[in-house]
Amino acid sequence: MTKHPTRRGVTAGLALGTLAIPGLGIAAARAQAKPIKIALIAPLSGPWARQGQLMRMGAEMALEEINQKGGIQKLGGAKLELVVADAGDSTEKAKNAAQRLLSQEPDLVGGTGAWLSSFTLSVTEVTERAQLPWLTLSYSDAITNRGFKFVFQTSPTADHQAAETIPTVLKLAEAATGKRPKTIGIIQDNTASPVSFGKQLRDGGLDKAGLKAVVDQVFTPPLSDATPLVDKVRSAKPDFLMLLTSAMPDCKLILEKLDEFKLGKGKIPLIGNGAPFGSPELLKTIGPELLEGLLFSVADWPMKGQEEFIERFKKRTGEPWLTQDSLTAYGDVWIFKEALERAGAADKLKVAEAIRGLNLTEGPAAACFPGPIKFDEKGRRVDVPMIFAQWQKGVPITVYPTDRAQAEPFWLKA
Amino acid sequence: MMPFTATDFLQALAAGILVGGAYALMCIGLGIIFGSMRVINFAQGDFLMLGMYAAFYLTTGFGVLAFLGPYGGPIVAAFLAGPLVFALGWVLHRFIVARVTGAGVAQIEGAGAYGQIIVTLGISLILQNGGLILFGSTPVGIRTPMSRQSWEIGDVLLNQARVVSFLVAVALAAGVYLFLSHTRLGKGLRAAADNPQAAIYMGIDVERAHRIAWSLGVGITAIAGGLVATFQTFQPYSGFDFVIVMYAGVVLGGLGSNFGAFWGGLLIGIVQQMSTLILPYQLQNTAIFVVFLLIIFLRPQGMFGRLSERT
Amino acid sequence: MRTRAEANRQLWAILGFAVAVVALSLVLRNRYYELVLTQVLLWAVLSLAWNLLSGYSGYFSFGHAVFWGLGSYTVALGMIHLDLTPWITIPFCAIVGALAGALIGYPTFRLRGHYFALAMLAYPLAILYVFQWLGYQEVALPMKRESPILYMQFEDQRVYIALALGLLVAALLISLWVENSRFGMALLAIKQNEPAAEAAGIDTWRWKMLALMLSGALAAVAGGLYGVVLLVVTPETVFGMLVSAQALILALFGGVGSLWGPVIGAMVLVPLAEGLNAELGDVLPGIQGVVYGVAIIAIILLAPEGVYWRVLDRLSRRAPSASEPPRAGAAVVTSPAPRPAINVARPLALAGTGGDLLVLRDITLSFGGLRALDGVDLVVPAGGLYGIIGPNGAGKTTLFNVINGFLAPDRGAISFAGQSITGLRPSQVCRRGIGRTFQVVRAFPRMTVLENVIVGAYVGAADDATARRMALTALDRVGLGGRADTLAGGLTTRELRLMELARALAPQPRLVLLDETLAGLGHEDLDGILGVIRQVRADGITILIIEHTMHAMVQLVDHFTVLDHGRLIAAGRPDDIVRDPSVIEAYLGKKWVDRMALTAQ
Repeated sequence: MTKHPTRRGVTAGLALGTLAIPGLGIAAARAQAKPIKIALIAPLSGPWARQGQLMRMGAEMALEEINQKGGIQKLGGAKLELVVADAGDSTEKAKNAAQRLLSQEPDLVGGTGAWLSSFTLSVTEVTERAQLPWLTLSYSDAITNRGFKFVFQTSPTADHQAAETIPTVLKLAEAATGKRPKTIGIIQDNTASPVSFGKQLRDGGLDKAGLKAVVDQVFTPPLSDATPLVDKVRSAKPDFLMLLTSAMPDCKLILEKLDEFKLGKGKIPLIGNGAPFGSPELLKTIGPELLEGLLFSVADWPMKGQEEFIERFKKRTGEPWLTQDSLTAYGDVWIFKEALERAGAADKLKVAEAIRGLNLTEGPAAACFPGPIKFDEKGRRVDVPMIFAQWQKGVPITVYPTDRAQAEPFWLKA
Repeated sequence: MMPFTATDFLQALAAGILVGGAYALMCIGLGIIFGSMRVINFAQGDFLMLGMYAAFYLTTGFGVLAFLGPYGGPIVAAFLAGPLVFALGWVLHRFIVARVTGAGVAQIEGAGAYGQIIVTLGISLILQNGGLILFGSTPVGIRTPMSRQSWEIGDVLLNQARVVSFLVAVALAAGVYLFLSHTRLGKGLRAAADNPQAAIYMGIDVERAHRIAWSLGVGITAIAGGLVATFQTFQPYSGFDFVIVMYAGVVLGGLGSNFGAFWGGLLIGIVQQMSTLILPYQLQNTAIFVVFLLIIFLRPQGMFGRLSERT
Repeated sequence: MRTRAEANRQLWAILGFAVAVVALSLVLRNRYYELVLTQVLLWAVLSLAWNLLSGYSGYFSFGHAVFWGLGSYTVALGMIHLDLTPWITIPFCAIVGALAGALIGYPTFRLRGHYFALAMLAYPLAILYVFQWLGYQEVALPMKRESPILYMQFEDQRVYIALALGLLVAALLISLWVENSRFGMALLAIKQNEPAAEAAGIDTWRWKMLALMLSGALAAVAGGLYGVVLLVVTPETVFGMLVSAQALILALFGGVGSLWGPVIGAMVLVPLAEGLNAELGDVLPGIQGVVYGVAIIAIILLAPEGVYWRVLDRLSRRAPSASEPPRAGAAVVTSPAPRPAINVARPLALAGTGGDLLVLRDITLSFGGLRALDGVDLVVPAGGLYGIIGPNGAGKTTLFNVINGFLAPDRGAISFAGQSITGLRPSQVCRRGIGRTFQVVRAFPRMTVLENVIVGAYVGAADDATARRMALTALDRVGLGGRADTLAGGLTTRELRLMELARALAPQPRLVLLDETLAGLGHEDLDGILGVIRQVRADGITILIIEHTMHAMVQLVDHFTVLDHGRLIAAGRPDDIVRDPSVIEAYLGKKWVDRMALTAQ
């Protein structure tokens, strides 16, 4: 409007001036050339900050161990360095973090993390184009369905998890009760991983297992109240209930509601999927008695042979036990160490090539994951058994596969 | 043929009413602010979150209320969260919010009236992220046996924690209603809300009235947060999940009507839970918005609002 | 409305800005900065789109994410399901956005103020859940290794900068065009006083809908390009509250209702937030949010109206006269100069004389239980100066509101110049040739006096130049020619009344409704206005005036009607009316009638 005459240049000048602000600090890049840099991008702020912080703990521990033991031998004992970036609370921030690390740290040889699968998707859009090998625990099928060559999923995909989980559960149930379950209830949230897990079940997975879904509910997290959900379970009485929830608060509401409706403690056997079912904060908020016997399948969980590391982790971090997020980040850094030894050069292309050729069955890296560390052409691991953990005396411990289990599973009967 | 049984229906209705009780209380808190200051407070959810943490630390962290046991402690803690957050609200209003709100600002069309949106968003960011630094990222919850026990009426189970929080919410709502309609201070607040100019002429200190309304509003919402904390887990970003519910409830009830805010919040709870009887569970929040839109189209002044803002 | 010279300067500013961005993109040489610059430009487009509706019309939208998200999903799903390239789907987003705008606006524009803002909030959130339900949690745009350019997948980030810049320039040009046309004037008038705008003949509904559709189209196109840049589309990222909030924060921060405000907001805040994330996010997670929050609060406390307005105020205070260019009309017209002959456009007032101009039959209207108008019959002859008086609450203003279409009567018919106007919208009534003023002056305080009147003149003018001419004529007519460039907010009560009269007269109506134009004026002011009203009447315009004080009316009108409790209780020449006992009773109560009867005896 006329009352405010515009001055050309004022705005443009102001604008351009401010755009330069973030450049100031970053320009002073760290002046180290020797160490080999690995990136960790994880949500350190925002609603998923807890998971990111757990990953950081794991990755930092692996780094220290490797460096204390003499770094990368093939490279003259070169030390590893972790470059951390916050993926924040949106895919945009996650992508920016990836682009920033790549711009500031041109000598990165690889990276890990992103946690939430949509963050991983957008981070890897950047890393793929930069041909940077990227390891991730995110298990959405979409991540390795895009024909990318530099993305490696250390967790089995959700599809695969679904296909593995159900038959194992049936086996366990049959062995314990002498009866094969006929009906199943499914309660899941609608985040990406549970959705692809559930899709596998509905598109033939259940039929193959001879199961009929009598409850099939998908909710949007966060749940305000689990009553209508659990009420449906009460009415339909499935032989067992499969819970696919990716956030601890929802697990809490459902578990408590099942107990309140007298369906807990084995009345309707419960199988969870995902790491939140084994989180220390779940124990803190609902106590051990409700959790006793709860069985859940999970991509990765501490196993036999890692006792020493688990103890050190607990001591160092003050966490009551080791969980998937820290464990895989720890394992991923070890995988990079193995790949670097094989590549014999701090070069991302060679490291990627080395990862493609890995077939590890022993050593610290292999100890972190069930099955061999071997990737197919899509970047997925092959021959991965599903891990089952069970709450026994207030701690979730691995009970399957048998060769890596810390204890025997039991089937909770009411 | 109905896709659900009578028990399902009653159970969902009960769940809706109980969930709605907490919603109703937080809506009243927001409604007082919105109704008297015409301020869109984006930080309201974060004050709710502060209420949750205040109750949490009072119950568990410092052990202050441990002597009250797992039943009484959390409820008393929820109440105590109110004054704490009230005090914080007072300070924030005194030094920040008052500078972009109030009768003087509202007069100048388009001036400070916009500033308040940014200011409350800024406060929201500070509380969420400050909360992350102070409280950590691990989700926590107040452990009370009530959250997994129920009273049974026939086949319908009523969760104890939610029943208690519902009753407390209703009692508090009634108290607020009496306060606003029967005390001098309350009447002054309402006068300042209806017509700030006239209130100034009547000798009411509008800025002080606004400060009280603001602090009272965040304090009441914080108590609602403390009650929610007895049955839900939370982390520093949890408040955001309730912002939409609160606004929907307040608008449904009708701006400026505290009575309406209560019913609006309750209705949101009922719609949210009962929609699951006929709609996919995933659409329960879509159902809220559809009802919300329907009501404001059919009755733009809300269920209990007056027509004052229409022209 | 800007003069051409100013519009030209804005064009140069836009060009300069574009050149600067291009130059910046050439020197950055860092993909990360290039990515952030791309986002800055895209968010600026969204914020400009928001500003187009909310900044100009004052209808705040808390839900612009709905357009942004629909754009992103149009591109993503088009590519996945139909293998359509973004080159096709991004332009198509404009249609999607405009359509969504129409569908949303149709019901939602029934609401105003906070209700509108909060209702808008509901749309993106409701849709968010629907997209999750449909299974579109994560949609990744497939990588096209064979024909990347065909699918808008460039190795060089600068191409995206160029695309986003092109979009931003388009958005700026559209905004500039809107600002400088009657579109923008209409929106500004709506923002400042919607009923007045409607009464001045502006079809507020139509302009609001157009603004929302245009805004939606722009936002959707930007959202489409955002999807291409981000490559991964999730419901939370594109429909979430943060997107809607971003649109308004940037504009509020930079300066609402200005061309450059949203751009400044994006240029400052997007890099600021990202820079803080980068520098602090891995050191003490959360601290970046705290610092950002403190920063935006601090800045907005210093510049509550936004950075742009603040800077401009500073600059214009430093150099007051130099920055204010003389406006074309202002210098030429001097006040109470002899009135130029009115022969611009078609003088509506002279279309027909003689006979009954306005006829009300049995007009009845109730609010709840209260009968505000009760069977009112009224005939206003053409060319007359007709008065309606009545005590407070008699229904006078309600009667005007019924005549000019703010209220529809429950019963009864209104005809004007022989045609029924019952149930028409105010802007349509205005177009038929009925102007009005308001009891509480409804000015557009942040527009100049001339702009205020131009808004009224649009109805009778075929083009903007004619409108301007008609407005100047009307201003001269009421003796405000010399105040054309003053902001309406700075006028005295008398001047405001005159300005409002000029606004009503500008389109050259046949009938003007004056609502207590004389109330609260001192003697001298009163005489001046009475003179103007008589002059207007002498020009052949019929006048219907309401007052609650009889005093001034008696000198002015030739015919009186007295309204009480929604009913006509007397009609006749002023001298007769003041002696009518029922009138005295209505005004002073029964006691007075008795007393008068006594004194008469």
